[in-house]
Amino acid sequence: MFNILRLVQNENLKIYKRMSTWIMISLLILSVVIGGIATKFLMNPNDGNPETNWKEELQVRNEQLQMDIEQIENAVGAGSATKPLEEEVLINNYRIENDIAPVESETLWGFMISAPNFTTFASLFAIVIGAGIVASEFSTGTIKLLLIRPVNRYKILLSKYLATLLFAFLLVLLIFITAFIVGSIMYGFQGIDLPYLVYTEGQFVEKNMLNHIITLFGLNSVNLIMMVTFAFMISTVFRSSSLAIGLSLFLMFTGQQIVMLLSQYDWVKYILFANTDLTQYFSGSPVVEGMTLTFSVTILAVYFLFFNVASWVIFQKRDVAA
Amino acid sequence: MMEREPIIQLKDLKKKIGRKTIIHGISLDLYPGEVFGFLGPNGAGKTTTIRMMVGLMKISAGEVLINGHSVQDNFEKAISYVGGIIENPEMYKYLSGRDNLIHYARMIPNIKKEKIDEIVKLVGLEKRIHEKVKTYSLGMRQRLGLAQALLHSPSILILDEPTNGLDPAGIREIRTYIRRIAREENITVFVSSHLLSEMQLMCDRIGIIHHGKLISVEDVTTMKEDNLDISVHFDVTPSQKALDIVKEVQPDTQPSIKENWLTVQLKKDEIANLNKVLVDQGIDVSGIYAEQKTLEEKFLEVTGGDSHV
Ligand SMILES: Nc1ncnc2c1ncn2[C@@H]1O[C@H](COP(=O)(O)OP(=O)(O)O)[C@@H](O)[C@H]1O
Ligand SMILES: [Mg+2]
Repeated sequence: MFNILRLVQNENLKIYKRMSTWIMISLLILSVVIGGIATKFLMNPNDGNPETNWKEELQVRNEQLQMDIEQIENAVGAGSATKPLEEEVLINNYRIENDIAPVESETLWGFMISAPNFTTFASLFAIVIGAGIVASEFSTGTIKLLLIRPVNRYKILLSKYLATLLFAFLLVLLIFITAFIVGSIMYGFQGIDLPYLVYTEGQFVEKNMLNHIITLFGLNSVNLIMMVTFAFMISTVFRSSSLAIGLSLFLMFTGQQIVMLLSQYDWVKYILFANTDLTQYFSGSPVVEGMTLTFSVTILAVYFLFFNVASWVIFQKRDVAA
Repeated sequence: MMEREPIIQLKDLKKKIGRKTIIHGISLDLYPGEVFGFLGPNGAGKTTTIRMMVGLMKISAGEVLINGHSVQDNFEKAISYVGGIIENPEMYKYLSGRDNLIHYARMIPNIKKEKIDEIVKLVGLEKRIHEKVKTYSLGMRQRLGLAQALLHSPSILILDEPTNGLDPAGIREIRTYIRRIAREENITVFVSSHLLSEMQLMCDRIGIIHHGKLISVEDVTTMKEDNLDISVHFDVTPSQKALDIVKEVQPDTQPSIKENWLTVQLKKDEIANLNKVLVDQGIDVSGIYAEQKTLEEKFLEVTGGDSHV
């Protein structure tokens, strides 16, 4: 174990002594800052004082929702399609009755709730690192001196994988911290004690908002971990970082669309990208009817194992002729 | 030397890539403290053999034992005795020389910072060790390569063409280091090259590899040019009878006949004797012409003289 930690330390040395790593980290932080400024100044803020107006707004919103629900019911009949809308109506009513204001987008929490979207950038940069961490040792020939040490190959591979994941988590953490700092500077701490409302099985539960935001980050990181693991596998199997970056980014940006296009087929639920967005089980409806959280987690676990076993087997067996 | 336990043993080592056999069964014992030269033209299979010895390539058949430990079955133990440079000393260019050494030191238990400083001094890189490797000359990279190979005080040093691309001064420098390391630290050095002249200057024994086969292993001291066979041409009549006589009395001299020239491989002191035998048997010897070969020529001859760069 001690051994592995030192190997991870080595991989970190190789990651963080590179200029390109720091450029990526700066870009990530910059994008969150710019995103924050853009939401504050470019998006049209509600006129008037939200403190007094929110109840009326919710009422208007509920009327709109009711109309939508009727329309959908007339078109396709009552079913899962209207469920999220009905829940929103119920939650809005609960808010009005219990005097719990919703989180406005121009507040710290409002901004932080949208911040997990930045994990796409984190995925991008973590894929770049994961794609290069094995392939670059082959392309520069350093793999030879790395592998003639009294350390079995699987340990070296594991240390590289762990270092990649650590980098990915560092990026997500940086998004969180930057969003918090930017959000609190721009909006202050007004509304910080607002709870997060959930409606489950006919009951309203008030939850801690910070926990909710952390959960959102966690759910968004699922896709990140899967894509980084995929890039790492391609990098190990084909020893080409450009192939690993290209393929991973292509799939990351088109995967969801492909799943949507094919969503009339039942087998689509076995595709990785039908399962990476776990928020579908918390708000909205699953891609294919009948999919459950357990199902998706199982599918994700299978893909995760497959990617890692493939990397491991190939790396262990490969003749190093670089 | 032969009574000692070998520190490296290659046992009928073979490598197949696809259907092609690249190494055809090499067997070799190396002993502590010797400098062994692995000599062969480009493409002979030196790098492939070395890659199998250090576990970079899978062994197709046979085995490599280092201090009794199989490289295949007990890699961590076996390789812990070995330091090496395989082809070019590729290090992390964006790290400093010292960061490179720290990196490799972390992969071995119990290496002290002082050890790193000591090695840096040994290879004479103190002044530049904090600079990035990308600013180093090839000679400096080669010395940093030696430093990483010596970090853990190995008992064996495996170097694949360490002088490739170096200028004469750089070559002499590396040669001096290798001899000194072998003598002072009693390290076995296994060094490959395609240049005989270079091997003669630094090795105790030389093995010649050609087309994936080890075709000879000799002590450098017995490889003196005086000890080489000389091609001797006798102008004889009748030539066929002369050939038959030589085939009978000295069949191991590779006798051959071309027109009236009989060619045999002899040591210098055997020429007069063979001449006497021929004359005694009634052969008319009207001329003797001896062709002394240099070691270099001999090497070129056994290796077919191809691709000698
Ligand atoms: N990966 C490979 N696939 C097929 N043939 C190879 C491979 N690597 C080396 N060879 C062949 O094996 C032979 C020995 O190569 P090598 O060990 O590099 O020779 P040397 O180091 O003595 O110059 C060469 O003929 C080369 O073409
Ligand atoms: Mg070679």
